[in-house]
Parts: sequence; C-alpha cells; structure tokens
Amino acid sequence: MEPAEAELFRLADDEYVLAERYTEWQIFAPTPESDLALANIAQDEFGHARLWYDLLQEEYDYEEPDLLWERDPADFVHSTLVELETPEGDWADTVVRGYLYDVAERLRLEALEDSSYEPIADRVPKVQGEEEYHREHAQSWLDRLTGSPDSHQHVQAAVDRLFPHALTLFAATEHEEAIVEAGVRTRSLSELREDWLDEVVPYLESLGVEIPEPETVVRSDVLGRDGTHTDDWRELHEAFTASYHELGFDEPAELRGDRA
Amino acid sequence: MSSDACAYTDYEDGEVPAGFPRTGEGATGAEAEVWDALREVEDPEMPVSIVDLGLIYDVTVEGDEAQVEMTLTYTGCPAKDMLTNDVRCAALTASGVRDASVSIQYSPPWSVEMVTDAGRDQLREFGLSV
Repeated sequence: MEPAEAELFRLADDEYVLAERYTEWQIFAPTPESDLALANIAQDEFGHARLWYDLLQEEYDYEEPDLLWERDPADFVHSTLVELETPEGDWADTVVRGYLYDVAERLRLEALEDSSYEPIADRVPKVQGEEEYHREHAQSWLDRLTGSPDSHQHVQAAVDRLFPHALTLFAATEHEEAIVEAGVRTRSLSELREDWLDEVVPYLESLGVEIPEPETVVRSDVLGRDGTHTDDWRELHEAFTASYHELGFDEPAELRGDRA
Repeated sequence: MSSDACAYTDYEDGEVPAGFPRTGEGATGAEAEVWDALREVEDPEMPVSIVDLGLIYDVTVEGDEAQVEMTLTYTGCPAKDMLTNDVRCAALTASGVRDASVSIQYSPPWSVEMVTDAGRDQLREFGLSV
C-alpha cells in the first residue's frame, strides 16, 4: 500500500466511524439545540469521510462497496476511541470523546497542510475550516459540564474510560515510517502525540479533571489502527452495513423471472 | 458584523482568491454554451444559479467532451450527487457536446465571498443577509 493511501484510510475511517456514533444521538440528545449541533457535526464528519474516500476512489481505483459496505471489518483502521459504544444517555462521554478527537484531528490536519501528496494538501483547508467549531462545541460543553459536581463526575469517568483509547489515535502501523519519509505527513505520530498531550492535559486539568499519566495508562489491548478492534466495532459495523445487505446491492437486481 | 447573533457562525469575510468567482466571462463557442446552460442550474436549497453562487470553477470543452470543475459550499452537502448530475446534464445540452464529466474541487475553499453581485441580490431577495 502506498504511504498516501495508508494515511487516507486512517483519515477516512476515523471520520466515518465517529460520525456513525454521533448520529446515534439523533432525537435523544439532551436538548433540541444540542441535537441539532451534533447532527451538524456528524454531517461534517461524514462529509470529510466522503472527501477522503472519494480520493481513494479517484487515485487508487477503489469502489465505494470496497471501502465501506463490503469491506472486511478487520480491515478498518480507525482508532478505537471512535468506535466505542456510548454508554446509554451519557452525554459527557460524547463531549469528551469529541474533544479528545477534535484536538488530535486539528494537529493531524496541520501536519497535512504541506503534504507532499498534493490531493491531500489541496483538501485540507476546506476540512480545517469546518473543524474549528467542533472544538468550540466540545469545549463549551466541557466548561459547562465541569461546573457542577454531578456532571463533573461524568466527565471524569469518561476521561478515565476513553483516555487509553484516545492514545490509539497515535498508534503507528507498518506504514508510519514511509508516510513521514515520503512527506505525506510532515510530523510523526509520536510528535503529534506530544503536541496533543501538551494541549489536552493542561486544559482538562484547568477544569479540575484528573488525567492519567500517559506512560502508566493500561493500554487498550486492541489498537484499531492495525485492524484489531473492540466488540463494539463488530456490532456497529453490522448495524451500518445492515441496510446495504438487506437491499441486496451485492446481488444484481432481476426485474423478471423467479427472483424478481 | 457585530454579533448578538449565533456565536458559532463566522460572519467574517472570507478571502476571495484571484480569478474567482468564475462566471464564464470571455468564454467562446461550446464553452460559452456550457456556461449558459450551467447558469440555469439552481442550488437545491436556494433559488440562485450555481454560477452566481460561485460554485463553478472551470469549464473546458475538448472535441465533443465537456469537463466541469465545481465545488460544494460545504463538504457534507447532501445534494452532491444530485447537483453533479444536474451539472452534467446541463453541460450535455450544449451543441456539439456528446460527453460530459464533472469533478469536485475543494481548493480554493468556497466562501460566501465568492457569490457574484447578481447572486447576492437574489440571496437578499430570498431573505438571506449577505
């Protein structure tokens, strides 16, 4: 696999799967306002996923079914952070997940601004322009949620649960060296991880949230990036491919005869 | 605009890259015909021509093949397939054009500053403040 192709899969899969989890809040979010905001963010993430998947189709000859509907779930390379099932009704989980992801996303996009792979560099400004308010949204909710003891506890619990999975955002695969060497991404994953920690740790601590020491965190035993995933992923994958299979797109439609 | 309006909407002016918006001014022959046909295509959400919205980035006709480069106002636009199909069909109405393809570009990123003056008038008439 080409370095740019490998990077595109990380980008596209992260955005797509996160959007799938966001959409589960539709009609269930705490207020109509937050429902609309999250729907809008999900739409952006789907838009970004589409833009990266389109590029895989244009440049690397994939078809949409190969990328999503008929792809082996063990070939998806998103971080486990974005696939985890949201504990029922736990808005703090979604807010914390969004924050941890969106900061990493900004740093990654910045490292792609000067990508040697022109088609990626070309699309980054459009995507960046749409990401900014995602972080504002997450931070304005974090500020509010940490303001009362009950919801503060929910935020802390979400950080404790999600932090090890957020670290998989920066998990390297066998393509990492080639991606950096070819200049597809201008910063390495370990540099991005340092930048991310420098930003999220002081911010969350300023809200009175305790952050586990990264070096002592019990790592997730699956990384997402290498195709190993949690059981939550299997269920989510089944759910989002169900309609495709029910509609039988994988079989040619017959308008006449016994199978019509 | 000072804002007691939505704090999460950016009302700052975007930058218009040199040469944008493109409106087909100066185009000749089949290319001019394609531009004219595209002017008839409206945005699905607003009764404004996609040319006046500044969504068309380039039109070329080589032989009997038209190629249109366009953008979307935002990446998550749900009307992408519909719009690209409308654009393709419009391009095919130009005389001598037998085949047309449409590609989506995201650079330069579209902003409301790329709407033409005529487009602004129509958007205002529609009730939007631009």
